[in-house]
Amino acid sequence: MKKVLALLSLAAFSLGYAQGGTLILNNYSKYDFYGYIIANNTTGNCYPHISSANPEMVRVPYDSHMGNGKALVYENYRDQYTSSLYPMATWSVALASGSSSITPRAWNNPSMAPGLVLSNNTKWATTKFVMYYPGTTDLAPDNFNGAVTLFNNCYSAPSNFTTPSGNGAEIFSITSGTDTITYIQLF
Amino acid sequence: MAAFAILTLISCNNEGNAVNTVESMKTPQMENFDKAFKSLGDPQNRPTEEEKKRNTSELSDRRKALLVPASKELILSSGVTEAELMRKTGGDMSQIIVWATQIYMKKSDEIRKNIKSEK
Repeated sequence: MKKVLALLSLAAFSLGYAQGGTLILNNYSKYDFYGYIIANNTTGNCYPHISSANPEMVRVPYDSHMGNGKALVYENYRDQYTSSLYPMATWSVALASGSSSITPRAWNNPSMAPGLVLSNNTKWATTKFVMYYPGTTDLAPDNFNGAVTLFNNCYSAPSNFTTPSGNGAEIFSITSGTDTITYIQLF
Repeated sequence: MAAFAILTLISCNNEGNAVNTVESMKTPQMENFDKAFKSLGDPQNRPTEEEKKRNTSELSDRRKALLVPASKELILSSGVTEAELMRKTGGDMSQIIVWATQIYMKKSDEIRKNIKSEK
């Protein structure tokens, strides 16, 4: 009985969150992050495939994380536009392979709402990025750039890496029931 | 005219100083929660070779454990009792961390709204 109650309260607690889950990007490093934010279907095939489009690459300045309220937080494709410090005005949506199937969709396009096909069938999965010295387009040292992606995803990249000088990037998820929070962290 | 402009500038500056920032309004529990996530980047807390070979992107239990104390603190600071915390999560690390993250986001949203309404 206790277990049932616990499950019920958890279920009630979970309502109201988009199925794709929240993305939180913490940049703890001393370099600016400049990258694509990509989500895709992670079961079976890679589509739908959704990528940042306007801006194509998001700049999250050095030392921007939950601790100072400057983390990039995307609750879902739509609501991020009004709630995030890094609003994404347009997403590039591919429903199948081939460039003809790619369409730009504004954040408030009805199909981008949580609980619908796109949201329910995709997960935050990848970032392709470079790291710059603050406020510049000068590359951070030691090849601190590349991509991190979820395990066994459509995109061929590791989930984490560390540079010789000790900087690093990783993507991981924390899953509880139907709630998944995806973290991208730069150190 | 110039004097007026300068006065306006000064008054704007003063307002800027009085306005709180998200950083200054954070609670110690929120700060520790962020520190725990930052600590995942410490050399000894990075993924081990074994963890890298796992067939999943779920954070490993070893690294989740690093986030649990600060997560619990944050949940308790929101008015939840220890008994309630245990009853709802059964001590499950993922549940505790996800719950804490949701509280964190709610709190920072509230702080941001307060700052906006002050302006």
